[in-house]
Amino acid sequence: MPAAEIQALQAALAAEHAAVYGYGVAGAMLSGTGQAAALADWKAHQEARDTLQAMIVKMGATPVAASTAYELPFAVQGARTARLLAAALEDGVTQAYLGLVAVTNQTLRTFGALAMLPPANRAAAWRGSTVAFPGMPAGHGRTG
Amino acid sequence: MLAASTTTLPLFLALSACAGPDPLAGPPPLSADVRTLLRAVTAEQNLISLYKRTMAAYSALAPTLAPLLAEHQAHLQQLRARIIEPPGKTVPAKVTSRPAIPGTSSAALAQLRTAEQDASTAQLRRLAGAAPSLAQLYASIAASEATHVTVLDGRGAR
Repeated sequence: MPAAEIQALQAALAAEHAAVYGYGVAGAMLSGTGQAAALADWKAHQEARDTLQAMIVKMGATPVAASTAYELPFAVQGARTARLLAAALEDGVTQAYLGLVAVTNQTLRTFGALAMLPPANRAAAWRGSTVAFPGMPAGHGRTG
Repeated sequence: MLAASTTTLPLFLALSACAGPDPLAGPPPLSADVRTLLRAVTAEQNLISLYKRTMAAYSALAPTLAPLLAEHQAHLQQLRARIIEPPGKTVPAKVTSRPAIPGTSSAALAQLRTAEQDASTAQLRRLAGAAPSLAQLYASIAASEATHVTVLDGRGAR
């Protein structure tokens, strides 16, 4: 497997590690249905992480490990910022899977495109609005 | 400029020995990439038309549908930007599908939902063989359309 493809998988795995960590922070600031949703999303990211780890091992590489701590993009001090963090985590994961779509291996390309759909949906749900280009850098496609 | 080095000269001569393009043969056939891109453009135009006609029939749906329509217009703009248009010519704004708008707003929403789901699936089929940046554009639009399905299902909130 070419290095670029393993590198793209490792980037997706690193994003999943960050999401698993971040949902622990976000979930602690939420209650009721918000906390239940955060718990379900946390589990989804654990499953995605395990899938990526298995894929990388199968390719003969060592999966990147989770960091012991992550710097959050902003201070999370309540339910509102916890939801924004969840959306940011999902954006990061979506972007990482979009990186896989650029590889030449068609199976991995399709895997990346399909793997984008759940985090794109979760990001929209946490944010309360959709975006035109999930996974693309902020501002992509804007003309104003 | 092609420099006549020892390596390029034989290649240049070999190429010039081939039959050149026939000036009377008309424009060359479109590449598979361009045909795929044009189909993606048409699909967006069909969706935009469906949104506009649904909103015209059910103005109460406008607050829900307007943001989704705006995103389709952004998709169309990005897809069209990937097509190199010959000077003086533009890609035709062609709508190829005009299904009737159903008689109830819930049925109209269901029709849009089906159209979004079909469009998302079609984008994923365009990935194979596409240039990397174009494949990423198709995948991103597919994800956007998948989020529209969720909104139209009324499952968008957390």
